[in-house]
Amino acid sequence: MSKLMNAKEYEESLRKLNLQVYMFGRKVANPVDDPIIRPSMNAVAMTYELAHRPEYEDLMTTTSHLTGKKINRFCHIHQSTTDLLKKSKMGRLLGFKTGCCFQRCVGMDAMNALSIVTYNIDKKYGTRYYTRFIEYLKYVQENDFVCDGAMTDPKGDRSLAPHQQKDPDLFVHVVEERKDGIVVSGAKAHQTGAVNSHEIIIMPTITMRAEDKDYAVAFALPSDAPGITYIMGRQSCDTRKIEGMTIDRGNMHYGGHEALVVLDKVFVPWDRVFMYKEYDFTTQLVESFAAYHRQSYACKVGVGDVLIGATQVVAEYNGADRASHVKDKIVEMNHLNETLYCGCIACASEGHREPSGTYLVDVLLANIHKHNVTRFPYQIARLAQDIAGGLMVTLPSAADLASPEVGRWVEKYFKGKSDIPTEHRMRILRLIENLTLGTAAVGYLTESMHGAGSPQAQRIMISRLVNMEGKKTTAKELCGIEKGDHLS
Amino acid sequence: MRNRKGRSPELKVGLKYCGGCRAGYHRVAAVERIRERLGDKIEFVSSDCVDCDFVLVVTGCATACVDTASFKGRPIRYIKSEDDVERFITEATGN
Repeated sequence: MSKLMNAKEYEESLRKLNLQVYMFGRKVANPVDDPIIRPSMNAVAMTYELAHRPEYEDLMTTTSHLTGKKINRFCHIHQSTTDLLKKSKMGRLLGFKTGCCFQRCVGMDAMNALSIVTYNIDKKYGTRYYTRFIEYLKYVQENDFVCDGAMTDPKGDRSLAPHQQKDPDLFVHVVEERKDGIVVSGAKAHQTGAVNSHEIIIMPTITMRAEDKDYAVAFALPSDAPGITYIMGRQSCDTRKIEGMTIDRGNMHYGGHEALVVLDKVFVPWDRVFMYKEYDFTTQLVESFAAYHRQSYACKVGVGDVLIGATQVVAEYNGADRASHVKDKIVEMNHLNETLYCGCIACASEGHREPSGTYLVDVLLANIHKHNVTRFPYQIARLAQDIAGGLMVTLPSAADLASPEVGRWVEKYFKGKSDIPTEHRMRILRLIENLTLGTAAVGYLTESMHGAGSPQAQRIMISRLVNMEGKKTTAKELCGIEKGDHLS
Repeated sequence: MRNRKGRSPELKVGLKYCGGCRAGYHRVAAVERIRERLGDKIEFVSSDCVDCDFVLVVTGCATACVDTASFKGRPIRYIKSEDDVERFITEATGN
């Protein structure tokens, strides 16, 4: 029987890890209970909690194609377009339930990409990466692990290839080959959910050439393997979580995190190495991972649902909800959000089977979806701030509301509709602040811009994947420049 | 099988929800309403139960993407909206 952990079991499993985590210049003795990190753990825990709820299990769980056992969908290799569709839907659901990044999609995307690429490497070179990977996948499924899919290297001077960098560690690379495995050094930046993960799956970040073959490596490590250090990223308003009052957090329970993951001469046994110097497969690995991960931005639709809901609530609390322009702006927010949803559903629906049996999303449509995500959440956030009003950023603190001296003034002058407690108005405004410029804006806005590749990365893929010759030919046929059957 | 009051229910129903990604109504509350309104007439059991009268699939929208493969050969009824809830209750109570 596979372990299908619940939220509590997941939390306990993290306590058993010996992670080397640093934040604000100090080592974090207990990441699980640290008040700044814990909301991100709560968000990942939701992926476990909902798997045990009958009203969500159809999305959150599935059957392993390897063992026939019930597993969490985050450990699954997509076996059909239905699986791809349910992945998109699961992302929206979890974004909606947490109002933030729940961090677990990236490991699923790494595993699905590796299930395709390891198979293809083996076909070309007669290696045994796919067999290794499948054994690793069984281990992940059996233990219901969170995997951090780690792709983004620090990259140093962007004009130079990995082997040309003055500091060779700016891209993860092999520093020693041993009989029993390899030793690697380098770092992965912006690693979402790294400290909440049981495993880290490392992949190359760009196309590698022959000169870069020492950088063309993919492998998996336990997250507490010797030599790994995590340095937590700061988030706007992060220390509000240690102020002791809940209102100013905006989102009471959930959040995300990113960390710099440093690999300092870390040993990787051969059975965890899934690519070793096959530089000619780096493009395929990067692009298939990117396609899956661009689909994963379905989660922003769920977060958008929360922001739209919050905006409607504040409009009602302000007594402005019946104004025609407010109604129209809410419609616009929904239009933008559901347009995002169309993209993640479309790329899943148009997915196809790869030689390994894994289903991959339509790569063009996945890039279109993610490109929309680099834009629409910003537009939705702008409308939310428009409707919320300036009070969102000028509001006194929760401590002022509780103050025996000035609390009554805060209560009196920040009241909206007379039947709504001032505290409620403050809470909903803080949630909008959280999503549009606080801790959750890391995930909802900047991650939407740069996560899974910055906008230009999608534009390059769009340029490469559209059938421009076909469009030109049909245009010429329709206007009589060329003769031919434009329906063919 | 007897219900909490010791009487056999008229309907023994396997319950299956969709995943609820963008439910248009509160699915769990809808099932609670059915349970309250039908009282002893109905007993909800796991959808795995093979001797139930039918499987009631409660979906949040008309797409109904829920996986019903494991119910093959068994009668399935769907609730996809609030209207379906009322229709189901009316049919079950006969009024």
